[in-house]
Amino acid sequence: MSESADAALEAAFRDEWPRLIGATLRLVGDLQTAEDVVQETLLAALDRWPLLGVPERPGAWLMTACRNRARNVIRDNGRAHQQVRSLQPLLAAEGHAADVEPPDIPDDRLRLIAMCCHPLLQTDAQVALTLRMVAGLTTDEIARGLHVPVSTVAQRIVRAKRTLSTHRVAFANDQPDVHSRLAAIVDVIYLVFTEGYLPSAGETLTRSDLAAEGHRLALLLTELTPGEPEAWALRALTSFQLSRWATRVDADGMLLTLDAQDRGLWDRNLIADGVEALGRALDQALQTERGGRGPLLLQAQLAACHATAATFAATDWGAILALYDELIAVQDTAVVALNRAVAVAMAAGPAAALPLLDELADEPALRDSHRVGAVRADLHRRLGDMAAAQADYDRALHLVGNDVERRYLAAARYRSITGNSSA
Amino acid sequence: MSEYLLLGMRTAAAAELSPARTGRHVAASAAWHQWLRRWGLLQSFALAPSDQAWPAGSFGYPAQPRAFLVVRASGLAVADRLAAGWARVAGYDVQVLPLRDARGGDRR
Repeated sequence: MSESADAALEAAFRDEWPRLIGATLRLVGDLQTAEDVVQETLLAALDRWPLLGVPERPGAWLMTACRNRARNVIRDNGRAHQQVRSLQPLLAAEGHAADVEPPDIPDDRLRLIAMCCHPLLQTDAQVALTLRMVAGLTTDEIARGLHVPVSTVAQRIVRAKRTLSTHRVAFANDQPDVHSRLAAIVDVIYLVFTEGYLPSAGETLTRSDLAAEGHRLALLLTELTPGEPEAWALRALTSFQLSRWATRVDADGMLLTLDAQDRGLWDRNLIADGVEALGRALDQALQTERGGRGPLLLQAQLAACHATAATFAATDWGAILALYDELIAVQDTAVVALNRAVAVAMAAGPAAALPLLDELADEPALRDSHRVGAVRADLHRRLGDMAAAQADYDRALHLVGNDVERRYLAAARYRSITGNSSA
Repeated sequence: MSEYLLLGMRTAAAAELSPARTGRHVAASAAWHQWLRRWGLLQSFALAPSDQAWPAGSFGYPAQPRAFLVVRASGLAVADRLAAGWARVAGYDVQVLPLRDARGGDRR
């Protein structure tokens, strides 16, 4: 097989996974059983396809095999008689030929995402369950991505399944109000993305697998909920951020800030996708009853300001500050206030931002973060107050958890002592 | 050249699968089988019925037979190497059974 055929096959399995889980769940009603049935179907494909050839429509083969296996499981469990009779019309309509294109029920995937983000589950359980059931990552892969022990992830997933089962969250009958759950779904997907894009701990700045999964889930969400502005805003935001992926660290693994990145290496396709998604998000936001722009949409607009600026000097900091003013009106958090302070520093100069940072230093949400110290150190440096800059770099270095950021801060502190800009 | 039966087995409770990794395994496994055919080493094959549930411990081994290959090899050591390749690309536990010696006569 050629490399592109290999990649297509890999993508087909990944894309089919949530469809298969959803369709099987509809039949067997239980997440664990559905996962077992889909796993066994994948193994059957792994046994058969290399010897018999890959079917013309792999997805159709997998779907039919999954449904047949699910039907066998229902029968084997002795509960079949009544259930199969009620499923008869659906099973009869399937046909027996493996190549028959099954009816696509896109709602199954959306329903699966909604189920994984069920309000009964805690956020960490929602994240783990979404990554396993929708993205198809194994417990090992999730644990590696989130930098937590495998046993922790396994427990989260088992408990989540048990919680849903205990509360009889029935997949087939559960008609989630997607609008009411969309905020949780978007939060979970963005959490997956940001944990990959800027890990809170670890040796690397980025974890490509998690960020890529977050972006893929964002694309899937727009496919499933094309009328939701927040879904398009999420897609735009992740596209813009991911477009800078290759330029965020240099050859030695050192962090590169926006002003030092080679914009020629930014991914133009992702930026174009972000611009288009942002346009759709803005159009649809205007059509909603609220008519306003949510926090995610404003963040996507902020990301667009950076992604579409030809050079760092050409960045429209005035527009960015205006967007932060809007954002803080709808999402008054310490982190937004910190980012707004950075925009103030860029638009009006470092001296204007320092008092804002002093106010933020004792905010509970930022007290244990290195970010206030890092920003304040940079502002002091720009004002020429190297002693204050070094004190703030020391505070930031004491708190930073990511190794790449630590090296960046240590190098910046060294430069503030020596005045050597190349160190 | 002798003939050997390679028995591809999986444990009943298969480890958690990653769909992406399964896709890669299918591609690698297909390439491996093509290579085997191209070199005339694959005599025949058979697959267990897809919905066949073998009792645990069948064949004195806590795994289920999933696929069977009859391969030609110059000796057991070579057959073992083929088995190791198959195990690597498809994720099987592979057992090797000598079938027939090319100089005549069944080995079983």
